[in-house]
Amino acid sequence: MAFVVRRLLMLVPVAIGVTIVVFFMIHLIPGDPARTILGIHATPKRIAILHRQWGLNRPLVSQYWLFMDRLLHGNLGQSLYYGVPAAGLIISRLPPTLWLIVYAAVIAVAVSVPLAMIAATRKDAVRDHVVRAVPLLGLGMPPFWVGILLVYALAIKVHAFPVSGYGKGFAGHLHAMFLPALTVAIALAPVVIRSLRASMLNVLGAEYITTARSKGVPGPRLFLRHVLRNAVIPAVTVLGINIGYLIGGTVIIESIFAIPGIGQLMINSIFQRDFPVVQGVTLVFGVLVVLVNLLADLSYAALDPRVRFDR
Amino acid sequence: MSAISFPEPALAAQAEEHAQPRARRWYRQPALASGAILLALIVAAAIAAPLLTPYNPIKQNLGASLLGPSAHHLLGTDQTGRDTFARLLYGLRTDLRIAFIAVLLPFCIGTILGSIAGYFGGWVDAVLMRLVDIVVAFPFYVLIIALVFVLGPGQRSIYIAITLVGWVSYARIIRGEILVAKRQDYVLAARSGGLSAVRIIGRHLLPNVITQAIIYAMSDIVQDILAIVTLGYFGLGVPAPTPDLGSMINDGQNFLTTHWQLTTFPGLAVVVVGLSLSLIGDGLADLIRPGQS
Amino acid sequence: MTHRYFVRKALISVGALIVLAGCGSGGSGGSTGATSGPVRGGNLIFAAVQDAQSMNNTTVFDNNSIWIFEQIFQTLYTVTNDGKGVRPQLATSYTISPDKKTYTFKLRPGVKFSDGKPMTSADVKFSIDQNRKAAQGWAYLDSAIKSVDDPSPDTVVIHLKFPWAPLLADLSIFANGIVPNNYAGQTETQFYTHPIGTGPFKWGFWHKGQALKLVRNTNYWQKGLPYLNSITWTDVANDNTRQLQLKAGQAQIDQFPAWSTVSSLKSTSGVNMHLFNSTQTNYLAFNELRKPFADVHVRRAISLAIDRNALVKAVLFGNGKPANSLFPPQVPFYQASTPGLQFNLTQAKAEMAKSTVPHGFTTTIIVPAGNSDYVTIATILQSELKPLGIKLKITQLDPNVANNDEQTLKYDMVLTLWTMDIPDPDELATFAVDPSSGAKSFFTDYKNPTVIKDTHLAETTTAPAKRQQYYNVVQADAAKDAFMAYLYYSPYPYATTSKVHGFYVTPLGNMHMEDVWLSK
Repeated sequence: MAFVVRRLLMLVPVAIGVTIVVFFMIHLIPGDPARTILGIHATPKRIAILHRQWGLNRPLVSQYWLFMDRLLHGNLGQSLYYGVPAAGLIISRLPPTLWLIVYAAVIAVAVSVPLAMIAATRKDAVRDHVVRAVPLLGLGMPPFWVGILLVYALAIKVHAFPVSGYGKGFAGHLHAMFLPALTVAIALAPVVIRSLRASMLNVLGAEYITTARSKGVPGPRLFLRHVLRNAVIPAVTVLGINIGYLIGGTVIIESIFAIPGIGQLMINSIFQRDFPVVQGVTLVFGVLVVLVNLLADLSYAALDPRVRFDR
Repeated sequence: MSAISFPEPALAAQAEEHAQPRARRWYRQPALASGAILLALIVAAAIAAPLLTPYNPIKQNLGASLLGPSAHHLLGTDQTGRDTFARLLYGLRTDLRIAFIAVLLPFCIGTILGSIAGYFGGWVDAVLMRLVDIVVAFPFYVLIIALVFVLGPGQRSIYIAITLVGWVSYARIIRGEILVAKRQDYVLAARSGGLSAVRIIGRHLLPNVITQAIIYAMSDIVQDILAIVTLGYFGLGVPAPTPDLGSMINDGQNFLTTHWQLTTFPGLAVVVVGLSLSLIGDGLADLIRPGQS
Repeated sequence: MTHRYFVRKALISVGALIVLAGCGSGGSGGSTGATSGPVRGGNLIFAAVQDAQSMNNTTVFDNNSIWIFEQIFQTLYTVTNDGKGVRPQLATSYTISPDKKTYTFKLRPGVKFSDGKPMTSADVKFSIDQNRKAAQGWAYLDSAIKSVDDPSPDTVVIHLKFPWAPLLADLSIFANGIVPNNYAGQTETQFYTHPIGTGPFKWGFWHKGQALKLVRNTNYWQKGLPYLNSITWTDVANDNTRQLQLKAGQAQIDQFPAWSTVSSLKSTSGVNMHLFNSTQTNYLAFNELRKPFADVHVRRAISLAIDRNALVKAVLFGNGKPANSLFPPQVPFYQASTPGLQFNLTQAKAEMAKSTVPHGFTTTIIVPAGNSDYVTIATILQSELKPLGIKLKITQLDPNVANNDEQTLKYDMVLTLWTMDIPDPDELATFAVDPSSGAKSFFTDYKNPTVIKDTHLAETTTAPAKRQQYYNVVQADAAKDAFMAYLYYSPYPYATTSKVHGFYVTPLGNMHMEDVWLSK
């Protein structure tokens, strides 16, 4: 319990640091939101009107205090581009991104567990080498490229899936988001397979398995009851460690597949210099990563007491 | 995006190994050998690009645009009549060069900061690790893309962005390793013998823990190449007309249904580079930790 | 193609003709069947390159917003289909006082807003007055207006400060679109979140960054129109994705397919590839505040060294024309015989020899990162300027920063473009050649007193023949001065599924979506 409290307290400076990085990094991006809106008609007079409207004529530090003050009141400010609350924009775009992340994680685990099992049960056999080698190919695949090829093969040549979009309803999402989720999963699976295989080998070598074996527990049951259960948790932890990559990857995949998630919102908002929205989205990303990392850490600590002291 | 597995501190294996001679020579390790040979071939092809193709990757020939593969143009030509094979070779050159340079800075900075944090502990460690936590709180691509916007498109921006984001992984790995290694007897002995911190870290600790960082660096280069290619794909990478595999994939995308080779081969080139580096990383890991293969 | 297909095709186009002819008098009420004429109903998906920004017609400059809210707000006069004139819309006629300073408009009877309230002169006065106040928006186009009166519900009087030839053209701009008096009792901000107008479609919903839906206005004044039940604009930035959606039937209209794909779309069955005449003109601008570009010979040399046909072929894949004038052909008073400066390397070298930098120089061109068409142009320019000894460096900047550098004259050369908002050259001419306008002569600092004078004379002269004379001088002199190199005119590419009928885009980009229908 003390560990949990300490871990939570450590989040405070991190959270403050994150807001500072977010705010100043975004405002360091050269360019002007007024120019996005005014285009070729951006006369100095028009720019000044908009800057006054948005409070961009104030010093940066006072803008930061205002940002923090609003944030503590749960307000992310108004979108400069659309003129509506940034929080509302972000919330309405969150579901597709969460769908993509969870869907991709599920596919990655669903593919990895059997493959790792195949490899681990026959260490150093041909099938072990194949399962170890194929993920190496996956590690070097640019996900946007994989996405393009998957669309070409499965949506254009064979009309099995829509070329893009989010779909409608649960079944619609499952169908429409399959290719994007698969694309993310292909990037993710190699790591999961490798670490899952390693942890299964560890478990298989553990004393209690040997004991169970010698007591004559049948192979499949042994695997399901003992090996899998103990090996999946490390795999989930690996997923947790990779959450940053998983979430960052959605930024790219969303734009390939025209999924209206917060990744696309972020890219568009950067181009538009819509500071409050970019700040909001990066903060949401930050919160997601920190939360998942925290959960991963805690589960890790629960598994292995030594972690509490050394890390 | 690419997923990364952080090597676990090699606790026991590492300690045993300190005394043991290398169990196997590198060429006996099939993954390492094949990866090294593959990478050598790719690098040689990229360096020897002017000898392998008569075409200038930048020179346009509007009269010969979008030709299919032939004896003259192995992979055909693109929208402005440039030879795709030439652009692929020169693109590999660009992207490999940037990736190898880009991995050095975070490697050095991360290793130094990680050693300091791990060895000294206390408030230095606390501050550095909170800094790490802040950087890690941002998804890799979110931070890279935002930084490239801050710095403006171009190679310099790519180096800086990758460094600012990349050092944390090395710092984490080295710190974790040093935390364990500094409790080993020989280090304790050196400490009580009054050796300076710099000497202990440099002479006794780093040589033993750096291999973990090197193994990680192999997958990190893969990730950097993917990042460079991804930035190129989004028009944020190496400015045109310098050939780059990412912008080639992007340019070719519009012709996917009619000229699939324009998109497919630059991507395959990236995959092969990634494969060779992963094989090397894997092989190295096996070499160092034979028990864990 | 079978014979039956042709018969169907022929019937459809006759139907479409009837619709066009019957514009204003109501469509065919009793359409007989799916194949013989326009069909009522259907929901159209319009895959757009970008989301809209705002529905506020007086402050928004973004085309993707404008083309949507033009389905909601209508104007007294609207642009004709050729883009060169105006025709009555919410007004039916007007008279001009002898001193040319007072216009009296008769409003169309029976026009209702989508909330069922009738439109009156008070609404018109309010709408135009609102635009005149929109300093950050389009107010400048109404700067000749002194006041607007509403003497009776069906009469509007506009008093001018001085005779102003482009008035009807200015009134046809969306910014002078008619909204209910006092925003129907709401604040401006509230009103524009779910706007009310007299147009064929009314507000549905807007999930920002995803989709914006408009539905049929059942109170629309043109009987029988619109045909469609609804239109949904979806935000699909990726060219490739839009096209794939079209082919898969997920969308019926693909806005701006990539030029490289136009010819393959033309031969794709089930797809109609349209190239609508537009007023888009692409230019290469020179910054006259920077060293060699103040020299007219340098500018002329560069302009003469550009093979425009090669650009049209490489960038537009042949779907455009080399530009010869500051004005595009779809603008009134465009002078086709303006020679412009066309590709001639010998002359280019001769101009260079006469210049202050006869042996060439090193310079840069700014290109917005990610704009592959502009990158292609820049790389072609790079090789085409080499024979003049000009070493061209390409600087790719983030679009927002590129825009900033262009407009603050921090560049050597930059690629830029213009599309018309009104069917009169005045807006473009003032913007492009008058350094005292906010735009500093299209951000080039170009000053030619004759050109400036004639541009303003053409505003206050109402006789078309006389205006033509002035604009001829403007076009000829500006071309000779080569303050920008005119590159090419390009059409608006739109791909639709073959089920879409009656889709037409005017050279100004207006779409009369009320005429569009979907066959089964």
